[in-house]
Amino acid sequence: MNSSRGAVAYGDAYGDAYGDAYGDAYGAPALVGGASGGSLSARLAEAGVERRSFLKFCAGVVATLALPPQFAPQVANALERVDRPVVVWLEFQDCAGDSEAFLRSRNPSVADLLLGMISLDYHETLMAAAGTAAEKARDDAVARGGHIVVVEGSVPTGIPGSCTIGGRSARDILTSCVRGAAGIINVGTCSAFGGIPAAGPNPTGAVRVSDVVGGVPIVNLTGCPVNADNLTATIVHFLTFGGFPALDGFDRPLFAYGERIHDTCARRGHFDAGQFAEQWGDAGHRKGWCLYRMGCKGPSTFHNCPSVRYNEATSWPIAAGHGCVGCSEPGFWDTMSPFYDRLPHVATRDFNLTADRIGLGVLAATATGFAAHGVGKVVQHRVAAAREARDGDDADKADKAEDVSDAAPVPEAGEEGGQAI
Amino acid sequence: MTASVPAGAAPDAGAVPPPGPGPVPPAHEQETFVRVRVWDLPVRVVHWLLVLSLIVLSVTGYLIGNPELHPGGRLAWVTWDRTVHKVTAYVFITLILARVGWHVASPNRWSRWTEWIPASRARRAQIVPSLRFYLFIDREAPPVAGHNPLAGMTYVVLYAMFAVEIFTGLVLWGVEGTGWAAWLTGWVLHAVSLPTIRFVHHLIMWLTWGFMIHHLYSAMLVDRVEGTGVISSIFSGFKFLPKDRL
Repeated sequence: MNSSRGAVAYGDAYGDAYGDAYGDAYGAPALVGGASGGSLSARLAEAGVERRSFLKFCAGVVATLALPPQFAPQVANALERVDRPVVVWLEFQDCAGDSEAFLRSRNPSVADLLLGMISLDYHETLMAAAGTAAEKARDDAVARGGHIVVVEGSVPTGIPGSCTIGGRSARDILTSCVRGAAGIINVGTCSAFGGIPAAGPNPTGAVRVSDVVGGVPIVNLTGCPVNADNLTATIVHFLTFGGFPALDGFDRPLFAYGERIHDTCARRGHFDAGQFAEQWGDAGHRKGWCLYRMGCKGPSTFHNCPSVRYNEATSWPIAAGHGCVGCSEPGFWDTMSPFYDRLPHVATRDFNLTADRIGLGVLAATATGFAAHGVGKVVQHRVAAAREARDGDDADKADKAEDVSDAAPVPEAGEEGGQAI
Repeated sequence: MTASVPAGAAPDAGAVPPPGPGPVPPAHEQETFVRVRVWDLPVRVVHWLLVLSLIVLSVTGYLIGNPELHPGGRLAWVTWDRTVHKVTAYVFITLILARVGWHVASPNRWSRWTEWIPASRARRAQIVPSLRFYLFIDREAPPVAGHNPLAGMTYVVLYAMFAVEIFTGLVLWGVEGTGWAAWLTGWVLHAVSLPTIRFVHHLIMWLTWGFMIHHLYSAMLVDRVEGTGVISSIFSGFKFLPKDRL
């Protein structure tokens, strides 16, 4: 069996990928909630997926999870035997971009495999059911317990009644759906960190899911959108090993968020060599040189984009000639901007300053200030010396006897004032 | 009261001979001024190594932020630049830790922490006279052997900036995969984003050079006004102080 990542990617990209992708995307809604029982092999055969494709899929997932290739058969065995977990997919303040990404999972794709492995009982965008029937499917799934809640989008808390579905607020739906769940998978940066809806000034009071609910395992699959391969791999890990994979400090799986983009980027060699694109479309940009000076946030972003890539491993931003914007990091919309400059600016309506401009301004102000202080000190000494000289003269006229003791410091002080600085 | 002492001393200050061999001063001036070793060797060594490392760190750091050289692709100069920056940063951190340790361990009272933090009543009493000197109210600085308390406190500000600079540098090290640095500083990323860390790290470089301007100016000012040889003292360690100041 071919277990290397590259081989799988090429097999997918140049094989029967395009036909399947369209077919699956259109076929998906029909399959939601409609899969029959039976073994995964039987269901896959029913859906026209070859065994060979399934094994290739398992090898690809094992590679995504950064597991040794020997795990591929184990994963295949586990997936064939596993009880299909019920998945409830909730959408709040989102753009459905993560659902879109989900529909574009690697071949054999969503409809064939993920829906073969899981029972997606509720997904507002994909489900065939509507109205009370859909809500009943959701409530029944939650009542049975042990389900996985996938959340897409942030939860508004600032405007009462906003993001209301079927008369229930987002917070209410989320809280009730999480009760008894086996775990929460946050897909996309909005549900994991608040994302774009929570960016300043955050008019809806958007918060991340973990600010609203707790008490169940949470895994954050950040990105804008989530990389569907990471979602698939996380679900497969859950099914194979009975739990979520090892997480980083932000509850993101280490297999997908353990490496910095800058350290695994194909353009890193150009960075080390000092070869940079300096303008869009310049010679360096056309040669595919490093986008660091164009504001690429790869040095600040942890994600496996360089190896897994998007859309069935077709491409990702830096491969397409655009710098990373750091979409998988907390608060990326506010903290990673401006997207086309390396460091944040200090900006208001009236000014827009870079760190270098602030620094040079501080230097100029300091130099000017101390030069002025030096001039002030010279003036102070001269004035004092002149006053002493005048006082000395007065004293001279008033009392010649005191002249001897008074006059001595006068020329000395005058000379010092003149020399100061 | 404080102003009267230097007012009497200042006229003599101009007559103090330069250190080292030279014409022997008249007997009465030898009695008035004494040669005092104010800055001990560790302080001077750390001072000049800090100057060197700050220059290297600033130049390499600026080039990391703005890689503006174009020597061609074969040199891997950005890698070299970053390596020099990191090695120098180790030296810098060592120097800072050594200096902080010397603040506690040094037997020389002008090297100790009390020189920077006005803990004693006598030191605090000199704050207002120092302010009056800088604000053009008094002509003379208060009589001190080392730093006046305001000058001492500027180093507290400088070392606070260094602390932030070292910390943010360690954060950036940590995200590059240096385990101990990530362990030590990684928690801050829950509160502050990496681009902000980089911004602060970059800005403090400029603020440090702002301090340098202040530092050089103040040295020249005090050298002129006090006439105790403050500029040569950071090379030789010796100041020339009126006897009544000790």
